[in-house]
Amino acid sequence: MQRYRVRADAYLLRRGAGLLVVYALLLVVAVIMAMPLLWMLSTSLKDLVQALRVPTPANWIPNPAFWDNFPTAWNAAPFAIYFWNSFFLAVTTTVGDVITSIPAAYVLAKMKFLGRGFLLGLLLGTLMIPGQMLLVPSFILINRLGWYNTYWALIIPWTAGVFGIFLLRQFFKTIPDELWDSARIDGCHRLRYIFQIAVPLVRPGIATVALFKFVGSWNAFLWVIIMTDKVGLRTVPVGLRFFMMDIGTDYPRLMAAATMAIVPVLILFVFAQRQFIQGIARTGIK
Amino acid sequence: MKLPTLRQGRRFWWDTLEAYVYLLPTLAVLGLFTFYPFVNAFIYSVYDIRTRTVAGSVVHATTDSTTWATTLARGRIPEELADALLKRGVARDDLWVRLRQADRWVIKDEASAQEYIIVREGEEIRVHLATTGWAMESVGWDNFARVFRDPDFAKALLNTTIYVAVSVPTTLLLALLLATLLNQAVRGKALFRLASFLPYITPIVAITMVWAWIYDRNYGLLNYFLGTVAGWFGAEFNLINWLNDPRWTKPALIIMSVWRFMGYQALILLAGMQGIDREYYEAARVDGAGPLAVWRKITVPMVTPQMFFLLIISLIGSFKIFEEVLILLQGPGPQKSALTVVYYVFTKAFDSGHYGLASAASVILFAVIFALSLFQLTVVQKRVHYER
Repeated sequence: MQRYRVRADAYLLRRGAGLLVVYALLLVVAVIMAMPLLWMLSTSLKDLVQALRVPTPANWIPNPAFWDNFPTAWNAAPFAIYFWNSFFLAVTTTVGDVITSIPAAYVLAKMKFLGRGFLLGLLLGTLMIPGQMLLVPSFILINRLGWYNTYWALIIPWTAGVFGIFLLRQFFKTIPDELWDSARIDGCHRLRYIFQIAVPLVRPGIATVALFKFVGSWNAFLWVIIMTDKVGLRTVPVGLRFFMMDIGTDYPRLMAAATMAIVPVLILFVFAQRQFIQGIARTGIK
Repeated sequence: MKLPTLRQGRRFWWDTLEAYVYLLPTLAVLGLFTFYPFVNAFIYSVYDIRTRTVAGSVVHATTDSTTWATTLARGRIPEELADALLKRGVARDDLWVRLRQADRWVIKDEASAQEYIIVREGEEIRVHLATTGWAMESVGWDNFARVFRDPDFAKALLNTTIYVAVSVPTTLLLALLLATLLNQAVRGKALFRLASFLPYITPIVAITMVWAWIYDRNYGLLNYFLGTVAGWFGAEFNLINWLNDPRWTKPALIIMSVWRFMGYQALILLAGMQGIDREYYEAARVDGAGPLAVWRKITVPMVTPQMFFLLIISLIGSFKIFEEVLILLQGPGPQKSALTVVYYVFTKAFDSGHYGLASAASVILFAVIFALSLFQLTVVQKRVHYER
């Protein structure tokens, strides 16, 4: 049977006028969605006088552009330390999470063993636990471990995650069993098979998991303010909060700092859009 | 479960062993940092827990007690101590005497926030690293009774419920409409994806700061925008004091939340819509169904699994609202109009040190979320259409 390559979705409003309305509405929504970020960018390039002008469309473009907010904001607080911490924590927790998730996901996707169903249920159940409920017991635990105000407290608890396991599990499931059978006959150890043969086949999945973990870690805030109170351990979001408490409502400089915090995520997104979208598409599917 | 036959048995048990070895890192981390705290949250809720500073390992000892005692009594750091701590990388200028008692002093290193406890026993003086000790005392249901009697908690629960009850359905409904629109569009989806995904992945602290500026009463974008629109209709517009008027703090949080999650949810719904088999639409067309009927009878029912998924995760997520309040309002808001449950837990535990009480409050939060999820999984899910 011949399959028409016509979009199913184009059925409702295919005619010109209807489509025009659709695009007009979408444009309005897109503008609203993008507005806060554009406004942030615009304000960050104004001096205080410009920023307090009535925000008529003409005043959106900073004229002249005032670049000083970026260096002054950067120098007003130890942002270099904040960025280094965020970067360091994001990298270490991402690597840790990926390394622990790969064998766990493989095992849950491909092996039959005692307690598999129970474990799957247990891991799925952890998704229902609101993390905020664990703050007090975690705080006490971290203190008892002697990890308060250390990198350990910010890294180790985040080196395993259920999201990565379930996503990778879906990817591993698509690998045919015959591959492992033939590898085993050739005398390949399972661990080596997982990391050298199976992992390259699920690379897109790993990229997605790593991206979400990296961004999540970059944005970490609540855990950090609870488990540390040292300037040297602040992440970018925590540093931003203290910066805001310091300088109050000097919005141009605040917006410059916010822009600096967002730019790394933005760059990552632009370069890895496909992986982000994949992560989204996968989460929606039961 | 069905156990394997004897012949397969050996392989099965070896596989079981091997599987658990591979699962060990994950289970160790999750066990220690998720399951164990989870159980503890319940246990701690029936205890009165307080911290106190206790003397840990000895870092320095001396018999020169008279000199030390007089120096410390004057609020100065003894030379010998400064030298000893310098070897540990502590700068002299960062040290100060925080507490002076007869035979006990506490000095603090401002740079690392580390405290040292100095104890005199006769001729000998010992310098200890200060560590946090925990005093626990069982108090039965007292914590729960106190939480339920606390008008602040009632307020927090009410505020959170209002926030969830408005923002969750609003976001989902708008996302559904948006996804429908996107589903019609042929071009421009990539650009739209970028626009709708950004709010979701940008650091919440940074983005909330931006909204604090947008909500500014006199110079903010939103009031200007509303004033302009009101002007078109010749209506009068009084500047809204979004962040300082108790009537407007919750709407401010809700608007921001809708903005953050609408695009993300629309993308998930869109993925669902694009997976709908074209034949359903063909059949509807043959039957002469109008666009609205098609949308109501085919498009919406077919994305109910995605809607259900989003409903559950956004309910759980919304009940946890905290950072937004802290950054946007720098506190619980005027007249505590934006005090949320997690904010309550946070201040009780980490500002006032009532850890047991905070645990009780978070157990109540969990119970609410759990009951809602259970309700959804049993009652609401029956209405979800799963395609076989």
